[in-house]
Amino acid sequence: MNDFSELEADLRKLRPTPISSDLVRRIERALVHAEEFPTAGVLPRPVNRLNGWWSFGLGLTAVAALLVIGLTFFDHPPQPQTTASVKESPAATDHALITAAPGFRPAGLTQVVYSGRDEGLVFSPNESQAPRRRLRYETRETVRWLNAQTGASVRVSYPAEQVVLTPVSFQ
Amino acid sequence: MESIISHEDWKTCFAQLGPALVLFARRWTNSRADAEDVVQEAFVRFWRRQHSIENRALLYATVRSTALDRLRSDQRRARREAVAVLDGADHFEPEFAPEDEGQQLLAAAVERLPNEQREVVVMKIWNELTFAEIAGVLEISQNTAASRYRYALSALKKILQPHE
Repeated sequence: MNDFSELEADLRKLRPTPISSDLVRRIERALVHAEEFPTAGVLPRPVNRLNGWWSFGLGLTAVAALLVIGLTFFDHPPQPQTTASVKESPAATDHALITAAPGFRPAGLTQVVYSGRDEGLVFSPNESQAPRRRLRYETRETVRWLNAQTGASVRVSYPAEQVVLTPVSFQ
Repeated sequence: MESIISHEDWKTCFAQLGPALVLFARRWTNSRADAEDVVQEAFVRFWRRQHSIENRALLYATVRSTALDRLRSDQRRARREAVAVLDGADHFEPEFAPEDEGQQLLAAAVERLPNEQREVVVMKIWNELTFAEIAGVLEISQNTAASRYRYALSALKKILQPHE
């Protein structure tokens, strides 16, 4: 590397073009919106760590919710008295209106579970039935209709909430 | 430089690091204005995440990933720029502030280097990153980083020889 020492010294003397004052102003403006992060040091960052756990928890909840729904519907055929579904949405009205339109047929339904929580055990008043666990899922459903003749499609997305009661066995 | 930098000190840090960061960002952009945009976004992102300013390798990696994100954000633009920029097209605006004719020749020679060699030289010379740090930023091996640096210096010598 000694062959290059002179060249390296010359390169170090060469200075890159200075940054524009406009760039400094723009960064200053952008940082003003980051007042909650006053330093660039190496202190521990509990906020970010919490965010990480929050994301992890959300992901875990979604996976667990899907698993529970899968188990509920495939291992034990759904019983009308164990599952209650509450959907406060315009879906039913929209569905009726769009289906009534000539040529439109349902083409797909997507349900994304983005939140789920365990609301604990539910006991029947006279304890005649085994206790059940109440799980509440918040979902976003997207229904798509397609008109095969014109190629037109209609997509309706709405939030929905589902409450599932699953039997609990104690061993 | 202290480990904990107050909010008011970012200007000092940026005055030291900014010119070389813009020089580095030019690898993925066609104009100095685009490079400044990349550096702005990367620096703000880096600062907000409260990384140590001493971790210059991470700062460079942030500039690199920001630049690549911008390229990917528009595929057509990415293809156009990838062809134009990564081929080492000779239409760069002047990136240095030469003080004499010798430096002018040297600056022109640096701008003629292939991009992959030029970026290693930029990090090594103007930011004094180690080969290990450069390798980390570019996701290449340390030997590759060192080789590119040596090739770059050899190429610069060759380019400058007729003028010496």
